[in-house]
Amino acid sequence: MDNLTLWMLFFAVGLGTFLVRLSFIQLHGSTEALIQRSKNVLMLLPPAILAALCIPAIVFSRPVTEYQVDPVQLLAAAVTILIAKFSRSVFWPVVGGMLCLWLLRILSS
Amino acid sequence: MTDHRKQFWLGVRDLLPLVSGVLPFGLIAGATGVSLGMTPEMVMGMTVLFFAGSAQLAAYSLIQDNAPFIIIMITAVVVNLRFAIYSATFAPLLGPLKKRYRLPLAYMLSDQVYGLCSMPEQQQKSDSERLWYLTGVAVSMALSWILSVVLGIALGASIPSHWSLEFTIPLAFLAMLVTTISNRQLFIVALISGSCAIGFQLLPYNTGFIVAVVAGVSAGLLIPGLWQKWVGRKGGDSHG
Repeated sequence: MDNLTLWMLFFAVGLGTFLVRLSFIQLHGSTEALIQRSKNVLMLLPPAILAALCIPAIVFSRPVTEYQVDPVQLLAAAVTILIAKFSRSVFWPVVGGMLCLWLLRILSS
Repeated sequence: MTDHRKQFWLGVRDLLPLVSGVLPFGLIAGATGVSLGMTPEMVMGMTVLFFAGSAQLAAYSLIQDNAPFIIIMITAVVVNLRFAIYSATFAPLLGPLKKRYRLPLAYMLSDQVYGLCSMPEQQQKSDSERLWYLTGVAVSMALSWILSVVLGIALGASIPSHWSLEFTIPLAFLAMLVTTISNRQLFIVALISGSCAIGFQLLPYNTGFIVAVVAGVSAGLLIPGLWQKWVGRKGGDSHG
């Protein structure tokens, strides 16, 4: 693909992505009633989205095409969950999980 | 005014730990672009226009495979469809703003912004506090993403891959997830969504993500009703 085509591609994707991001924000007002009615759904979205974002990346090691379960990553995630139960921050659970990951990698190598 | 500033910096502070995951991802995005023979200007142009790391990596691999223009375009936009959910979530907050604030903030929506700004403690704040917090998170996220890619272009892939720094991204979302789950219904939602995300992750164009979110939310809406029906039928001999 030549550079001009690439630039056209980048602009097309950039515009498309921006419109996706802007969609409901721009329509706000006409969709307010809809959003009010779907309060129930909106309340359930955070756990659904966060789980779908992180669970596959934790269970399987990259590249994901091979479906390789990585027990070390699972243990690190367990440590993160435990710390997150007690600390309200995001920082310490991540630090604890990463230390666990590195420790187990060193021990198992 | 000072209160607004406080919320802004609170957002910046909460984003900082997540930079540990953004940085390696940005390094990869920058280094991969250069390794495909693109000029630094092109990689930066792509980064700023996309402002979406996973779509950028998906586009790289398709460009490398000489996929047709329209396929790359559709793939990259579909990978970003999750942003429509974020757009709906923040519409009540961002929709009423003037255009010169609304458009840039919409452009800067990302997974990290959604994660931090939908945490339970944020929901208790006033709208203007939430807005300033979101601005702090979004601006610092945008800066750290773009600087990470610049660094990736300059350095190539120089953080050793066996450090697995990119693993801090799922861990951070996991920590947010734990904080979000405050009752059994939300736990079921996360459980179903997570399982479906695993089951459907090989679906093309990241559609597994959307399927998982829809399945999780549907389960959350349906299961309490089914549960009540079941308990109701058992009637007297249930101990509650």
